[in-house]
Amino acid sequence: MVNKNRFGNIYLVIVFLVLYAPILYLMYYSFNSGGTMHEFEGFTLQYYKEVFADTRLIIIVINTLVIALLSSALATIIGIMGALAIHQMQNRRVKNTLLSLNNVLIVNPDVIIGASFLILFTMVGIKLGFYSVLLSHIAFSVPIAVIMILPRLQEMSPSLVDAARDLGASRLDVLTKVILPFIKPGIYAGFFMALTYSLDDFAVTFFVTGSGYSTLSVEIYSRARQGVSLSINALSTLIFLFTVLLVVGYYFIMRKANRNGKKEPAAEMGVPR
Amino acid sequence: MKSLVRVFLSIFIISFGLMGVAAWLNSSQGYSGGNTLTVYNWGDYIDPELLERFQKETGITVIYQTFDSNEAMLTKIEQGGTSFDVAVPSEYALAKMKQEHLLLPLDHSKLPNLKHVDSHYLNLSFDPNNQYSVPYFWGTVGIVFNPELTKGIDFHSWDGLWDPKLRNNLLLVDGAREIMGMSLNSLHYSLNDTNEAHLQQALTKLEKLAPNVKAVVGDEIKMLLANEEAAAGVVWSGDASEIMDENDKLDYIVPDEGSNLWFDNIVIPKTATHVDAAHKFINFMMQPDVAAQNAEFVGYSTPNKDAKKLLPKDISGDERFYPPSDITDKLEVYDNLGKRMLAHYNELFLQFKMHLK
Repeated sequence: MVNKNRFGNIYLVIVFLVLYAPILYLMYYSFNSGGTMHEFEGFTLQYYKEVFADTRLIIIVINTLVIALLSSALATIIGIMGALAIHQMQNRRVKNTLLSLNNVLIVNPDVIIGASFLILFTMVGIKLGFYSVLLSHIAFSVPIAVIMILPRLQEMSPSLVDAARDLGASRLDVLTKVILPFIKPGIYAGFFMALTYSLDDFAVTFFVTGSGYSTLSVEIYSRARQGVSLSINALSTLIFLFTVLLVVGYYFIMRKANRNGKKEPAAEMGVPR
Repeated sequence: MKSLVRVFLSIFIISFGLMGVAAWLNSSQGYSGGNTLTVYNWGDYIDPELLERFQKETGITVIYQTFDSNEAMLTKIEQGGTSFDVAVPSEYALAKMKQEHLLLPLDHSKLPNLKHVDSHYLNLSFDPNNQYSVPYFWGTVGIVFNPELTKGIDFHSWDGLWDPKLRNNLLLVDGAREIMGMSLNSLHYSLNDTNEAHLQQALTKLEKLAPNVKAVVGDEIKMLLANEEAAAGVVWSGDASEIMDENDKLDYIVPDEGSNLWFDNIVIPKTATHVDAAHKFINFMMQPDVAAQNAEFVGYSTPNKDAKKLLPKDISGDERFYPPSDITDKLEVYDNLGKRMLAHYNELFLQFKMHLK
């Protein structure tokens, strides 16, 4: 037993090393005064200063965050409605078809989604920029939200709704006081999945940006043609630390909420069961 | 329910707050006024200080956007949707844009600084009389090599690549025009040759190169050469300067038989809305001191002869990037060979690649 455990631990350490080593490597060299990622010459904060001095880069970071937050929030709201509709479906055939169509959108390659959006937007005459990026991000996040929320709905016992109805709850009451609280973990999970998808999406965004509007992934990619400058390392370090802070903060909020007696099953880290 | 509403409301409030900050930053930079110019350029292909200077001198705010390949740029401009006032295609993309009527002709009376550009680089086959474009940077195709590992091989001729000592130690860029052209050049033919016999000869010669070729690769060739994964490689001069920045043991040479001369050019796409500002920008970029500063920052060769005089000697005197006239005379620009000939080139190149193991 002990041996087995030790092996497991070693395995875990290796996995984490593989996952985190490139990030740590990148962070380490963001302080290199040498200007390359080959030899470490000396400590400098020059690249961090560059990041804060580069207004265009900061605007791009803000754009990226706004798109991620707005698109995943809106997509989650749409996803809730979609999941409810699919769940409510009586006809099994139609229900399965809808689910499959939803899944097709998830496995569909990003490049194809991006190219189709480009064609759609230019046909309809939507100017490429903030709204085109927002719309396409909402679009590819909705199926993700749906698939994160549906399992919670299916887990919910139908008698819960029946009981509420028997006790005289209106349709709206059932929705807001029974169903939504029950699927809340799924909703958060959907939101966070959509958030990460939106933050790192390159392929779709690449096609639908325009008019001086850009997000971080697109910007870094086009800068990479001349070799990535260490200021990108610095920026990545900042973003990484920011996400770590978010995760830690989220963890403490959840722990506090749990301790206050409000039991939220499987709500920790927003992972659905 | 209440907490859900609260969470989502706060997300929206945060987003709108951030949008406000972005808008404020934009306006503090003057991006939102009407007096703007949208520039579409390769990533990291201009000295940002110059954009600021242009803004100060003319009061026109530059919105700067980047692309990473001619194809990506073409798609964006073809589809419309955004209005770019200035773009920087390579010469073959420029020819394509011309064919598809995506460009506005330049008004030469608004470009007095055109006189600073070396006449060698004007009026070329891809744009006669510079009706649509002015050259931005230029370069060559040549050989990057590691002098220590290739002792005794003379790269002054393309034939050096065929030296048996290079066995399994050569990298090639994945471009049909580049590699076929190099083979044609080594046979003293033009790299725009369309004579079938000559092309077959070039292919046969290429097939003899196969044992030396380690791989035919894309952009990663820069990293592989800089890390000394191979002793030599055929690359563009722009890539070569980057590779040598990373690893100063390496050297670059353009063989005597001649080679390709490539250009990136400034054009005004048809979708431009600030044509006047675009002309001002193009004229500004041709100002000798501006072009010199830009060339120093980007590291490519400037076609501006008066700017070249302003460059430090160790840059302008570098024959690898500003080759002497006996070599420049032999450099050729790719002609647009037409769809069928291009397909034939690709086919021959593919045959060669299949010959590799």
